[in-house]
Amino acid sequence: MGGPLLLVRALLFIPDRVAGMVGNIITALVQIWSNRVRSLLTVLGIIIAVTSIITVVSLVEGFGNYVTNFLRGLGTNMMVVYPQVVRGPRGEYLRRAEMTIEDIQTVDTHADAISRTSPVIFTGASVEYGRRRIDRVDIRCTNESFLRIRNFEVDAGRFFAPVDIENGAALCVLGREVLRKLECDESVIGDFVHVDGQRFQVIGLLKAKGSFMGDNQDEIVVIPWTTGLKLYPHHRKYMAFYVEARAEPEIPEAEGQLVRILRQRHGIKSGEMNDFGIFKQDEVLKNFRQVRVIATSVLAGIVSISLLVGGIGIMNVMLVSVTERTREIGLRKSVGARRRDILAQFLTEAVVLSTVGGAIGIAFGYGIVYMASMHPNMVEVDVPLWSVALALGFSAGVGIFFGIIPAFKAAIIHPIDALRHE
Amino acid sequence: MVIDATSQATSAPETAQPVIELIDLHKIYRVGTELVHALRGTSLRIHENEYVAIMGPSGSGKSTMMNIIGCLDVATRGSYLLRGRDVSTLSQSKLARIRGREIGFVFQSFELLGRTTALKNVQLPLSYSRTRHRRQRAIDALERVNLLDRAHHRPNQLSGGQKQRVAIARALAQQPTIILADEPTGNLDSGTGEEIMTIFDGLHEEGQTIIIVTHEDHVAARCWRTIKLRDGQIVSDQKSGRGISDADDAGPNRPVTVGTPSDRPEQAAT
Ligand SMILES: Nc1ncnc2c1ncn2[C@@H]1O[C@H](COP(=O)(O)OP(=O)(O)OP(=O)(O)O)[C@@H](O)[C@H]1O
Ligand SMILES: [Mg+2]
Repeated sequence: MGGPLLLVRALLFIPDRVAGMVGNIITALVQIWSNRVRSLLTVLGIIIAVTSIITVVSLVEGFGNYVTNFLRGLGTNMMVVYPQVVRGPRGEYLRRAEMTIEDIQTVDTHADAISRTSPVIFTGASVEYGRRRIDRVDIRCTNESFLRIRNFEVDAGRFFAPVDIENGAALCVLGREVLRKLECDESVIGDFVHVDGQRFQVIGLLKAKGSFMGDNQDEIVVIPWTTGLKLYPHHRKYMAFYVEARAEPEIPEAEGQLVRILRQRHGIKSGEMNDFGIFKQDEVLKNFRQVRVIATSVLAGIVSISLLVGGIGIMNVMLVSVTERTREIGLRKSVGARRRDILAQFLTEAVVLSTVGGAIGIAFGYGIVYMASMHPNMVEVDVPLWSVALALGFSAGVGIFFGIIPAFKAAIIHPIDALRHE
Repeated sequence: MVIDATSQATSAPETAQPVIELIDLHKIYRVGTELVHALRGTSLRIHENEYVAIMGPSGSGKSTMMNIIGCLDVATRGSYLLRGRDVSTLSQSKLARIRGREIGFVFQSFELLGRTTALKNVQLPLSYSRTRHRRQRAIDALERVNLLDRAHHRPNQLSGGQKQRVAIARALAQQPTIILADEPTGNLDSGTGEEIMTIFDGLHEEGQTIIIVTHEDHVAARCWRTIKLRDGQIVSDQKSGRGISDADDAGPNRPVTVGTPSDRPEQAAT
């Protein structure tokens, strides 16, 4: 019986509650506006805190997405195995290191957690087409598995066939950025370019991937590794290879297998160091996570100090405000304001003040992020909505936390004392 | 038997209980280690639609008494019945509710909120009591004090008399049981004071119960009953002014006598 009745009464009261709150907010805004300079100085700490939250979170998030995307683009199951000279304690060469094509083939056939391998020589060269010439283009000397392992696609023409590799044919596949810099279009397919003065026929074009940290992944020329060895015989000792594990969870197993095979083939005794290194994505991720942790702790430091400063500022200014407006409090009480009405009024004022600071900080944050995103080499950054929510939450929380004492002080003032206040 | 005496003397309905009844009220302020005895056993009854002036030298306890009647303060000892209900036992929020709904306070220094318009000032008590149709009621109240044309002016754009009229409208807005005015003309010149008093006269005619603290005889002269205080005690209580001239002698007996009629002359002598 009483339940529905209570509900109805509660519902009837809601508009009043809302009206009361809106009234308090308007009063607070009027109060803040009439003391603009003081209010602005007060919320400086909050502004700094919120600006840092928005900026740092957005940048870290932006780089994070970028790195994740980049790694996905590399191929999530990929590792690179490269020769690594073994040095003694005094830095002296102990053994020279080299990866042979037999090593690679053995790994390919005997490691069952590895789905494919692809030899690769990383080098740079000048590329000429007609009168155009670009220097220091990334050259990848590899085989037909390269596409699958590195998640590249050929969207015009074709890629090498195994027979091209066997023959050491002078064929090349160009990245889009090379195409752009050579100022030509897809009609270049079938035509010839010069790589370090050597004539290569263009047989296909790679689909664009974008740049990473200002490093354009599409400024690349891919040639058969056999051809590459003919062109750069002394690069044989730099030959590395890509490994693709069958699946992401099998990466550790694949690594174990290839380490075993290579150590055996290279005659490394137990206790001796590997003469090769392995590059895995999780290392990139690990590094990035470290950066993230550092950024987050620096952020937390800045934010907590400036929130504290901002909070104390708010408490101070609210205490001043309560004293200044003692007569007003007395008057309000004399016309029927209860303690909780006064408490709500001053608490609202503190929260509105800190939230206004938060809003200004959010605006600054957006501004900084926008300016950062104008830089040509900048990764794509966006202000995540949750960081805005977090910032607003923090600033409102500071308002409540540091506003409660002044508000309480206002609420318990005796009406007569308040009205007698000079 | 006290009630019998009252019923013969007053024009109010015999059975009606007083709106305000103070019984042996004491108020003691503590200043450091010193005690200030602001009210010493004050007893008083005020009925519906009375128009009372409270006079007395400075420091005699007039404001103290008004504040207690207005539920802004509580007595140290004794009881205060508002419409028969003992106020001294009520909680803070109940007192606030009474201040908001039953009492309209008018202050010497107006006490308007400076940053808002006259209309918003008048609406203030209504917003605390969550009354409906606040704006309309505030407009009605402003109209009653003839200040509707200044509804959207701020206090600093109003003259002293106008400010006090806004304050009266604010006191009226809630349609209170009693209007309490502590030296409402104290900050005004005599002409403006007269205007304010004319408003109070009108309100009284409409049936409002009004209590005014004043130092000015011509203000007191417009009221129908004058209570004089000295050193926290009532020293005289008379029907006066244009009111019931024939009640002049019955007056003092009626309101003051509760409990301790014999004490009075003695106290007055001290
Ligand atoms: N808050 C207080 N603390 C201490 N003493 C007080 C306080 N309020 C009033 N008093 C004392 O109580 C006595 C009565 O004060 P009250 O304000 O009631 O006088 P009043 O009759 O209104 O005087 P006036 O005509 O000057 O307004 C005075 O002696 C005053 O000093
Ligand atoms: Mg006084």
